[in-house]
Amino acid sequence: MRTTLAVAADLIREALRRKWFLALGLAITAVLVTLGLSLRMEVVDGALAATRLFGRMTRGPIQAVDVALRPVFEAAAWLIFYGGSVFGIVACADFAPALLSPGRIEHLLALPVRRRELLGGTFLGVLALSLLAALYGGGGLALLLGVKTGLWTWRPLVAGLLSSAGFAAIYAAMLTTTLYARSAAVSAAVGFIVFVSGIAAGNRRTLIPMFEEGIGRTLFAGYTLIFPRLSSLGSAAADIAASRPLEVRSLASLLLGSLIFGGGVLSLGIWRFEQKDF
Amino acid sequence: MGAPLALEARGLRKTYGGLFGPGQPALTGLDLAVGRGEAFGLIGPNGAGKTTFIKILLGIARASSGSVKLLGGDPEDVAVRRRVGYLPERLHLPHAWTPPAFLASVARLKGVDAPPAALSDLLGRVGLANDAGRKIGGFSKGMRQRLGLAAALLGTPDLLVLDEPTDGIDPLGRMEVRRILLDELARGATLFLNSHLLAETERVCGRVAVLSAGRVLREGRLEDLCRSGSLYRVRFAGGADAGAVAEAGFTPGREEGLWRCEAETPGRLNEALDRARRAGALILEVAPEEKDLEEVLQEAVRGALAEEKAA
Repeated sequence: MRTTLAVAADLIREALRRKWFLALGLAITAVLVTLGLSLRMEVVDGALAATRLFGRMTRGPIQAVDVALRPVFEAAAWLIFYGGSVFGIVACADFAPALLSPGRIEHLLALPVRRRELLGGTFLGVLALSLLAALYGGGGLALLLGVKTGLWTWRPLVAGLLSSAGFAAIYAAMLTTTLYARSAAVSAAVGFIVFVSGIAAGNRRTLIPMFEEGIGRTLFAGYTLIFPRLSSLGSAAADIAASRPLEVRSLASLLLGSLIFGGGVLSLGIWRFEQKDF
Repeated sequence: MGAPLALEARGLRKTYGGLFGPGQPALTGLDLAVGRGEAFGLIGPNGAGKTTFIKILLGIARASSGSVKLLGGDPEDVAVRRRVGYLPERLHLPHAWTPPAFLASVARLKGVDAPPAALSDLLGRVGLANDAGRKIGGFSKGMRQRLGLAAALLGTPDLLVLDEPTDGIDPLGRMEVRRILLDELARGATLFLNSHLLAETERVCGRVAVLSAGRVLREGRLEDLCRSGSLYRVRFAGGADAGAVAEAGFTPGREEGLWRCEAETPGRLNEALDRARRAGALILEVAPEEKDLEEVLQEAVRGALAEEKAA
C-alpha cells in the first residue's frame, strides 16, 4: 500500500506542475475571491434581508438563509459534477499514456514496484486530484457563504464527493483503455463515451420509449444497462446540495453501480497490465 | 559448488506477436551466466535481442520459454529488484521536475532512505551538482543520461544493468562515467553493460558475450576473445627493406613499420625474425596480435551467417 500511495503522490506532484491544474486551481480561487470581495449579504434573524453583488442590489423575496442559498448550492453541485467531469476527462487523459511511455515504463517496472501498485497508484492519484478540486470548489463556496451568512452546511462537500465517485468510474475506463491503445486522444474519447452513456443510462426510462419496439430498443436498453447512471448521480448531488429530498430511489445503488463498473474495468486493466510486455 | 551468480538465463526464448502467424523471434534459446562482482558486456548488431534480454531479465517482458534468475531469485520478486539499478536505453524523465525531486521519487519507490544531502552527493558524483535547481526539461541528452545513472545508483545496488550508459555523453563525461562504473565494481557490485560503443565495453568489462539473432555466438573473457592465436605484431625500425621483410614471412600491417607474422610456434616466429634481421631489419617491438571487439563482433556475426548459409 505504501508503494501505491507513493505512486499516487508522485502523480499529484506531477499534476500540480501542469498548466491545466494550475489553471483550474487559479480559476476556482479567482471565483471564490471575486465572490468573497463582491458579495455582500445581510442576514437579520436568520433571514436573508439583502444581497449585493458588485455593489448592486439583487432582487428577491426576503426568506430564510438556508432556503435562499439552496439554488446557489444546487448550481454549484451541477457545475462541479458536469463541469468537473468534462474537465477531468480532458485534463487527466494524458496521465496514463505518459506513465506507459517508452523509457518511463521500463524504468518504473524495473523498480521494486508491482504492476498492480503502479496502476492502482495512478488511479488513486487521479481520484485524489478529483476529490481535491471538488472539495476545494464546494468547500470553498460553503465556507465563503458560511462566513457571510452564518449558515454552515456540509452539503456541497457531499455533492463534491458524489462528483468524484462518478468521475472515478469514468477514469477507470480511461485508464484501462490506455493499456490497449496508448493514446491520450483515445483515452479522452472513451472518457466522453462513458460520460455520455452514463447520462443516457440515468435517463434510460425516459429514453427507451423513444425507440421503436424491436432490436434498436433492446440494444439501447442492453447498452445503457452496462454503464453507471451518472446523470442520476448528478441529480442526487444537486438534490443533496439543495437540501431537497432525493429524487432517486436509492443513492446506495447508484454508488454501487459506479463501484461495480469502475472496479470491473479497472480489474480488466490490471489483468491486461500484468500480461503486457513493454 | 560454483561461485554465486548475479544472473543466469537458461534456454531463453522470446517470440513477439504470433497470434495469427509464426511471430517474430527475438531470443532463440539463450544461455548466459554472469558471476557476482563481474563486469559483463553484451554486444551485438541491431536487432540481436540485447534489449529484449535485458527486459526479460528485469521482468519488464516475459520469456516465451526458458528460465531467468536474477541475484539467485525471480526477477518478478520486488525484494530482488530492490537490489538492482537499471538505466534504460531511452530514459523518459518528467520534464517539469528538478533532479532532486526525480531522485527522491525513485528513492521512495525503491524504499531507500535518501535525505537531501545524500541526493545532492549523488548528483555531484554524476556531475550534475550545478544543475540541481534546473528543470529536467531543459537538460541535454547527456545530462539526462547522467541523471538516469544517478537513479540507477540509488540504494547502492548489488547489480547494475546499464543499457547504453554513455549514449549522448561527451568524451570527458564518458571518462567520468567509466570511473563511476569502476568504483562500483571495486565496491563489489556486478555490472551488466549493453553498449554500442565497443571501446567503452572493452575498457570496463572483463567478460563479453556476442549476441546475434537471439543467441549467444561467443562468450568469454575479453583477452580470450581478442586473442588471435598464431598471429604476431612486429615493428621494425625505419629503413628496413620491405621486399626482404616480406620474403622473410611478414605481411604489412596498418601503419608504416608495422608488420604481421603468422607463426604456429615460438620457434617459427623466431626463425622468421632471424631471416628479417639477416636482411638488415631492426626489431623494435614484438607482441601477440590482439583483435579489438569490433573485429570479434564482425568475425562472430559473419561466421554465424556463413554457418546459416551452409546449413
